[in-house]
Amino acid sequence: MSETFRTISENNTLDKSKVINFTFNGDSFQGYEGDTLASALIANGVHLVGRSFKYHRPRGFLGVGVEEPNAMVQLHEGDKSEPNIMATEVEITEGLKAKSQNCWPSVKFDIGEINNVLKRFFPAGFYYKTFMWPKSFWMKVYEPIIRRAAGMGVAPIKPDPDRYEHNYEHCDVLVVGSGPSGLASALAAANNGARVILAEDKAHFGGSLLTDNVTIGNKSGKEWADETISYLKSLPNVIVKNRSQVFGYYDHNMTVMFERVSDHIHNPEKYMPRQRLHYIRAGEVIISTGSIERPLSFGNNDRPGIFLASAANEYMKVYGTLVGKKPIIFTNNDSAYKAAIEFHKNNIKSLIIDTRPSSDGELVKEAQSLGLDIKFNSGIADVKGRLKVTSAIIGKFNSDKESYTSLEEFDCDCICMSGGWTPTVHLSSQAGNKLKFDESLDAFVPNNKRQKETAVGAANGSFTLNQSLAEGFQVGFDLSNSITSNNKNTSVPTSNEPSFQAHDKFWCMPLPQGKNPSRFIDFQNDVAVSDIELAFREGFRSIEHVKRYTTLGMAGDQGKTSNLNGLQHVSNIQKKIVPEVGHTTFRPPYTPVTIGTIVGREVGNHFQPTRKTPTHEWHIENNVVFTNAGLWLRPRYYPRGSETMSDAVNREALNVRKNVGICDVTSLGKIDIKGPDAAELLNRVYTNAWMKLPIGKARYGVMLREDGMVFDDGTTTRLSENHFHMTTTTAQAANVLSHLEFYLQVVWPELKVNVLSTTEQWSGAAIAGPKSRDLMQKLFPKVDFSTENFPFMGLVETEFEGIHAKLYRISFSGELAYEVNVESNHGLFMWNEIMKAGEEFGIQPYGTEALATLRIEMGHVSGPELDGRAVPYDLGLQGMVSQKKDFIGKRSLEKDAFVNPLRQTLVGLVPVDKKTKIPEGAHLVENDKASLPNPKLGHVSSSCWSVEYNNPFSIGVLKDGKNKIGQQLFAVYPLKDISIPVEVVSSHYVDPKGERVRV
Amino acid sequence: MLEIKCPYCGKRSQNEFAYGGDATVKRPNLGDEVSTKEWDNFVYFRDNPRGKHTEYWHHVAGCRQWFKASRDTATHEIFNTASLEEEL
Amino acid sequence: MQNYSIFSLVKNAFSNHQDWEVAWKDPEPKKEYDVIIIGGGGHGLATAYYLAKEHGITNVAILEKGWIGGGNVGRNTTILRSNYMFDANAHFYELGMKMWEDLSQELNYNVMYSSRGIINLAHTDGQLNAYARRGNSMRLNGIDAILLNREEVKKMIPFADFSDTCRFPIVGALMQPRGGTARHDAVAWGYARQADSMGVDIIQNCEVTGFDVENGKISGVRTSRGEIKTKKVGLCVAGSTTLLADKLNMRLPIEAHVLQACVSEPVKPLLHNVVTFGAGHFYCSQSDKGEMVMGGDLDGYNSYAQRGNLPMIQHVLSGGLAVFPNFSRLKMLRSWGGIMDMSMDGTPIIDKTHIDGVYLNCGWCYGGFKATPSSGFVFAHTIAKDEPHELNQPFNLDRFHTGNIIDEKGVGPKPWIG
Repeated sequence: MSETFRTISENNTLDKSKVINFTFNGDSFQGYEGDTLASALIANGVHLVGRSFKYHRPRGFLGVGVEEPNAMVQLHEGDKSEPNIMATEVEITEGLKAKSQNCWPSVKFDIGEINNVLKRFFPAGFYYKTFMWPKSFWMKVYEPIIRRAAGMGVAPIKPDPDRYEHNYEHCDVLVVGSGPSGLASALAAANNGARVILAEDKAHFGGSLLTDNVTIGNKSGKEWADETISYLKSLPNVIVKNRSQVFGYYDHNMTVMFERVSDHIHNPEKYMPRQRLHYIRAGEVIISTGSIERPLSFGNNDRPGIFLASAANEYMKVYGTLVGKKPIIFTNNDSAYKAAIEFHKNNIKSLIIDTRPSSDGELVKEAQSLGLDIKFNSGIADVKGRLKVTSAIIGKFNSDKESYTSLEEFDCDCICMSGGWTPTVHLSSQAGNKLKFDESLDAFVPNNKRQKETAVGAANGSFTLNQSLAEGFQVGFDLSNSITSNNKNTSVPTSNEPSFQAHDKFWCMPLPQGKNPSRFIDFQNDVAVSDIELAFREGFRSIEHVKRYTTLGMAGDQGKTSNLNGLQHVSNIQKKIVPEVGHTTFRPPYTPVTIGTIVGREVGNHFQPTRKTPTHEWHIENNVVFTNAGLWLRPRYYPRGSETMSDAVNREALNVRKNVGICDVTSLGKIDIKGPDAAELLNRVYTNAWMKLPIGKARYGVMLREDGMVFDDGTTTRLSENHFHMTTTTAQAANVLSHLEFYLQVVWPELKVNVLSTTEQWSGAAIAGPKSRDLMQKLFPKVDFSTENFPFMGLVETEFEGIHAKLYRISFSGELAYEVNVESNHGLFMWNEIMKAGEEFGIQPYGTEALATLRIEMGHVSGPELDGRAVPYDLGLQGMVSQKKDFIGKRSLEKDAFVNPLRQTLVGLVPVDKKTKIPEGAHLVENDKASLPNPKLGHVSSSCWSVEYNNPFSIGVLKDGKNKIGQQLFAVYPLKDISIPVEVVSSHYVDPKGERVRV
Repeated sequence: MLEIKCPYCGKRSQNEFAYGGDATVKRPNLGDEVSTKEWDNFVYFRDNPRGKHTEYWHHVAGCRQWFKASRDTATHEIFNTASLEEEL
Repeated sequence: MQNYSIFSLVKNAFSNHQDWEVAWKDPEPKKEYDVIIIGGGGHGLATAYYLAKEHGITNVAILEKGWIGGGNVGRNTTILRSNYMFDANAHFYELGMKMWEDLSQELNYNVMYSSRGIINLAHTDGQLNAYARRGNSMRLNGIDAILLNREEVKKMIPFADFSDTCRFPIVGALMQPRGGTARHDAVAWGYARQADSMGVDIIQNCEVTGFDVENGKISGVRTSRGEIKTKKVGLCVAGSTTLLADKLNMRLPIEAHVLQACVSEPVKPLLHNVVTFGAGHFYCSQSDKGEMVMGGDLDGYNSYAQRGNLPMIQHVLSGGLAVFPNFSRLKMLRSWGGIMDMSMDGTPIIDKTHIDGVYLNCGWCYGGFKATPSSGFVFAHTIAKDEPHELNQPFNLDRFHTGNIIDEKGVGPKPWIG
């Protein structure tokens, strides 16, 4: 291997026996198992990985985890291609392919970098000030250029081949983060008998214990972490999850976590999902998410090779990788010295630049004792090296720290910076916690609890190991004890760590005299100090305005490294303290979450359930074309041979008019209504009268909403004195049931009635046509089908070969018709028997299209007319409205607008040429050539080919329709430049007196 | 996801429930003479408070019972729930 | 006021952008104004602008509780359209569309109006017919609309699900080609800058705590920054309307609900149009920055919290993958919520009130952003003339008594039912 940037120490998480090959931008590289894409690239000396969003500046790695703003790559190829992946979060697998994004033709030479050359013309918000002339150029020229330049990676074009799962968990205590405070909390809670989930975002547990030289008890921090995790894993009441990030804290203590199940596995087993989403409802949530290091602002601080000091340290200690061999450590606090000491262990001497005048911290003393060169009261003014840092311009501060006394250039191949630490308060804030500003930490920390969130350790602003452990054990015990009351305390081990001295409240370095290099705050979105100053100059003073105007903190990293520096800068400009400036809202998710993971299994054909009737397979065998009716699949028509849809529909409809047809009506909603007040309920729910309906008879009913609009219709049958069978439309079945339950339980609890959905219990077949009686008689020889004994709207209960059957004489088609209902598991049997018996009568199945034809010819309203905006009058249903009794929605019908005689009412429409079909959705106008806006008198709601008269027929609503019968209007359909002269006729086109159903 | 305590079934996740709106609105009695204003107040007008809101929920994917809840519209905190006969 | 242009940008670049003026001032409230607009959102800022520009009323204050543009104008999914079926809506929103077309030039602020076309996908023939009814109505009202068949839709969004395993196949669509998007923050800031330049006082961090009403007439407002006298007050506080109306003893046909939206990480241009799913709750456009901007439906219970919960996002995104299965490997970057002023028929209210000098602009439901210019225009008219403009006459409060409600969705007075 050609790698040259690995540490001497082997005490890390790499397995050097397992070499892994991967490519980046087409070049082959090798790493080890345990490497991230970032550590493997750095180990191979690759630092230039991407380009920034706005100026296309060359960028490398800043961090080592989820805080990374720069190193975003495009992963994989083809349908598994994935944009905007943080290289720091990818564990390499054999054959992994990654490439840079947002650059062309290559990451080294990117045309887009012209933006950087011209960046003085592109300050914050420049696009609001220009691109306005000429007007047409915005859409045609400027915006396409901006859109092409923007965006980061490339979205795949094909559907995602991977699978995602959801899981629901309940536990007593959820611990988020496995650093010292998290481990302590989990341990204390688990020992006290609580059901614990411990979640760690990274592959490895331990957090800062993996990088800090500390001892707990008589072990190193890392050993203690490993032992604690092994112990926790052995407990039955603990679930330990790595590669699992809790990204959202929602209402009622609902937290959500995603788990990377197989992203890190080469050729995972088939049963493994790619990622899993866990909804976790925890009794208590312990937030031990640690803290994120803050960068420092100085000229060209975004160049590849400039790292957070903690990241450099972690690359060495966890990933055995050196971020450089000639480092400069640049800091305003003690913690960065850890990196210098670790470099020293690898025989690499760092130059240390410290903004403070001095420090007595133990790490500083150790660095001094190692003979490292430390320049106090100094800062980096600027750096050189475009594709990788090559040197730093370092200056001693003047007394006011607003300029330098002298500048000196030092060669380097990396800079490791530290501006102190920001507690990771995102989850606390998402929980609703109003954060408070801690002056000594210069950071926001959680305040009074809003839900069940408790922050511990660095996430709570407790930065020493002693504090973290003490807090963790205490909180873990207290919170678990409030649930388990076991009183089993776990003793706090003693710990040892170097002492610290306070950080310097100084983040933004002065510019070198006469020069104006950009000092970046938000790396990914290219927001520099000057942008914030400009925003302020232009009056954008609220922190939210600054954020929106400059796009500070709005990139993929959501400001993890930039928000506080930005705030600090705004407060400096305003000469206000930070808490007066406030902070922007922390919104979920904490880091970007794959959309497939959020959605889970409800994709493709499983997006929504598919409801099938018991005769579904029969329909398929008979060449059905289905239609979606809500979640149901209903037969639409059954084409034969080379029939078109209209051929088939006309044949099916005509067969009903001439012989007999059969239609699957199982999907209609059915509600069983029982109780001494059942009739009274119907009387209140429907607009017509129900008290005197005889047993064994059905009646058509219309129900309204309280606002007077027609809600649903259907027939309801009295099975016995206190027992009714209601049918609803397919679309409203569930809503009608809820509606009835609401009135029964909430409004009229005095009514003694029970309602129950029986939709799935009955399989229904409508048998319609002049020969339906003969067919029924053949099927049910014991039943007397004479009109005297089985009249229209009658019910007969009988049996067929031992199967209970309910026969209703009801009709939607307008023909003599029956409906046979049997229990669902007999549905297919019954259907087959009907088909067999019907053969001699010429029976044919008909679908929803023929059904529509039949009902339209009869002027029966259905879905397109019942659009939730019609009162009964509009649909010609005023005859259904009782004047004698009160019912739901009646009072609304008195409204002026609802009794206006000029309202649109139901009419029939026939094309004057008797040939041209009138498309549904057409509007009715007096003059089809009138200038626009052309007043609409009504519209065409349902159209068919009348098989009775062999010409097109439609129904629709028309202003003052009743008085317009016989008039000629135009049905216009401007979307297709169609205008059809139509004659207004009665909506009852066939059998207007309704004699056929009664024969 | 809200966690709602059905008075009959206990705590369940919100996806088992359907919302039913303001429970302080009282439907005029059937057959009563009601002024237009009273009626429209019932059909269309709402108190819409920020803070404590008394509302109906329906345990649709459970016991199918309607019940009342007292919930904070600013924080979504549910103070308590009660069956229709009980006081909140 | 400084003129914004490529020339001013270049000129200022050479002085390191040190000479830009403030976009709007930060004045102390005066003792009295001719008109006070409560609410520094898009509608309030636009109203103040049109009061000054169209009616010469410049002694105007905008009182904003927080920072201007912080409510729904800065939280919406930036969609502009006038694809309404009912005439009252169609004419009103169409005025808005016409105003959007010239708004950047009018405000000398690039609001980035982009007519990328809004496509309403239909998944059954019945649904396509219902869309055709709306499209034909639009055309008869002089508004652009075209009907697309499946093949035409496929040409525009080839990566949508046209496969055999699709649960709700796309059969066609209604498209309004002039529909599109604009940059939401720019709209607020552009109006603010112009209003300020004409003398309007934009007063932020000024919360209205009460009203002074004498003999049925408004005489002033009480605020966290003192009492201010005035004869006319316009309420433009959608999302908080009831909270202020309570102080005026007005009960309104409005409920507050939370609506969430989310964005993906930015990706290179892929989706040119605004697309809405017809078999679930999902709509999407791609911003100039490259983010997929996605929204859906209300969380479904009364709420004043500007936050929602994940199940609704999950529901919306499942609709998203039903349309665009390739979005599965994109990542959701950020989600947020806004408070909707849900009126009981889904249509706004722009009207006078029973108190002399108090004017109401509310009930915008999910659709207020696109109405920013037209709402400001007609509301300014209503305030200046003390009578509604003909375009907002149908948006009167009395319709809930007369029955002249304008219910595009047809679900009745239950705003939480999608």
